[in-house]
Amino acid sequence: MPPATRIPAVVALIGALLGLVFATYSTDDYAAHLDRQLHDVHCSVIPGAAPKEEAPGCRAALYSPYSAVLKDSLWGGIPISLFAQGSFAFFGGFAVYLLVAGDRASRSAAVFYAAVAVTPLLVSIGMFIISLTQLNTVCETCVGTYLASLLVALGGGLGLIRLHRRPRGGWLLPIVWLAALGLFTLLPTFVYASTAPDHRPYLGSCGTLKKTTPPEGVLLALRGSRPVRQVLFFEDPLCATCKAVHLRLKDDGVLERLDAQMSLLPLDNQCNWMLDRPLHPGACQVVKAVLCGQDRAKEVLEWAYQEQEYLLRAGKADLDAGHQKEAPVLREVIRRRWGDAIIQCMDSQATKQRLEKHLQYAVDNSIAVSTPQIYLGNQRICDEDTDLGLRFTLKELAPEVLP
Amino acid sequence: MTGPMITNGDPVGAADEPRRSVLLAGLAGAGATGLFLVVMLLSIHSSVAGAAERLKNPAIKEDSKVAIADHAELPYCTPQFKKVLERVLHSCGLGDSSGRRGCKPTDVKTFAEINDDDFNALFRPLKDRGAVILFKTGKYELEEGAKRLVEDRFRDRRGARYFFIVARASKVGNVDRNRALSQQRANSVMFHIKDITRDDPELEKQVGMLWLGAEYAQFSTEYCAWITSSPDEKCTEQAINQSALVSWVDCRL
Repeated sequence: MPPATRIPAVVALIGALLGLVFATYSTDDYAAHLDRQLHDVHCSVIPGAAPKEEAPGCRAALYSPYSAVLKDSLWGGIPISLFAQGSFAFFGGFAVYLLVAGDRASRSAAVFYAAVAVTPLLVSIGMFIISLTQLNTVCETCVGTYLASLLVALGGGLGLIRLHRRPRGGWLLPIVWLAALGLFTLLPTFVYASTAPDHRPYLGSCGTLKKTTPPEGVLLALRGSRPVRQVLFFEDPLCATCKAVHLRLKDDGVLERLDAQMSLLPLDNQCNWMLDRPLHPGACQVVKAVLCGQDRAKEVLEWAYQEQEYLLRAGKADLDAGHQKEAPVLREVIRRRWGDAIIQCMDSQATKQRLEKHLQYAVDNSIAVSTPQIYLGNQRICDEDTDLGLRFTLKELAPEVLP
Repeated sequence: MTGPMITNGDPVGAADEPRRSVLLAGLAGAGATGLFLVVMLLSIHSSVAGAAERLKNPAIKEDSKVAIADHAELPYCTPQFKKVLERVLHSCGLGDSSGRRGCKPTDVKTFAEINDDDFNALFRPLKDRGAVILFKTGKYELEEGAKRLVEDRFRDRRGARYFFIVARASKVGNVDRNRALSQQRANSVMFHIKDITRDDPELEKQVGMLWLGAEYAQFSTEYCAWITSSPDEKCTEQAINQSALVSWVDCRL
């Protein structure tokens, strides 16, 4: 038998093994976070690369709503990488069969493999589009999986060459193989779900507000279109996690069902006396802009989230130039977008007073100087439950806010 | 049909060869698939069970040192300053619900337990934070400039916990009259703050009042260098003591 006839199976096998490795990395990273702690994540197209802390693209994918299914039923949901693991294991095993059988593998086996081997590629294309359009970033481990899917599909496709030289084979076996593929794809999810810990005892164990009634008319009102539950946020518009939580709630349709108030807590020592250095330089200016937005405050806030990196760079430029207080660069960015009136408002004594009352509200409640913090009524949602487990937590503590 | 094949050797073995190869390939494929499956499931189980175990028995975390939101505290809050501050709070009605408000000279002398100069020295770091509200001789009413300065200083809280009004009288006049006058001056400032805050109930926990008459801790002209409510008028020792020092105090207790 000429070695060339085995090349498609070799390509498919390499692809399946690579896919299995990358999918296992993704599952491991996801599962590690079930302990409610932060962990380094695998984030490389090179198999064997060590996990790392700084992995913005991979973390964005990990925390995105597209990383798992059934998030209402299980804390964190069922990671989709489990389906990939199961299917790559099947494709790897089948590739071994094709490799050993060579030309003696039946025509129906080759056609079946070519047909199903394209499915990981189709899913990969879909996920890649989501990455680009929804997450605005690409996760390196996912790219590894995409490339592996391409190899599997390629191997399957190449196996159709010289199909006429193969023996015919029956059509019963492909049905059995298809059922096996389904079983392989689902089996990991059963193992995962049956081993996953119960997070319910941990929900709502992160304290309550001491002073439940905020000073009247001070906090930012963010009432959704169909509010069913009161919520209080402590947020900083220049905090990346705040942006992520905000977008998560918005994407899930939860934000529209909240009667939310926001206490602004800029992590910038220019106005926040609780800090000795600026964690988010320029946050005080941006927060004042939000407060001055008045009936467009929500719009200004969402603009700040959208332009967060740009605003942070502007704030950093002012800090580096020794102009943290005057913030000429950042204020010019704000002025260009929102006009001179907002700058005048930002400089007013009334705005300064209002911001101070926001900070004072944090003091009155002795909260941690960190953002974001979410309170359902007066019950705090634990930080650990604001990312992977957010939907599950809301389902348990406030099911009415889920659409 | 089978004749030539019999003469050519082992026809049964030759016919079974492809079948055996396919069977072997099937076994290899099934074996590899089974191996991948077992390794994969064990890996998943191990990852999830490990996380479950860590969740149940978390490692002892290092102190994350997340700050708790609190009032401002600046370096001038020395232990001595805090000691006097604490006594003022407890003795002048801020630290309990006794309903008592303010401290008169004899109280201050008793609880402060420090001499006049040391008492005044405690307030020196507040030079840029506070202000001295000046009154005409024998008067306790706030002039317009004084009202604006009180308001300006009170609005500039910057996270401070306590606001102090320390009123005095000059040595012109008798002891009793000066005690009463300094108390009235402290009250004038307090009433104005109540006006601008629309009687905010929080004031009771924020504002500490002391009136010293002319008996205790008289200012030297050094305090003329502070921001005063009458910057254009000549500042003498008598003028600077016809006053109320106002300032937020950036100390936690």
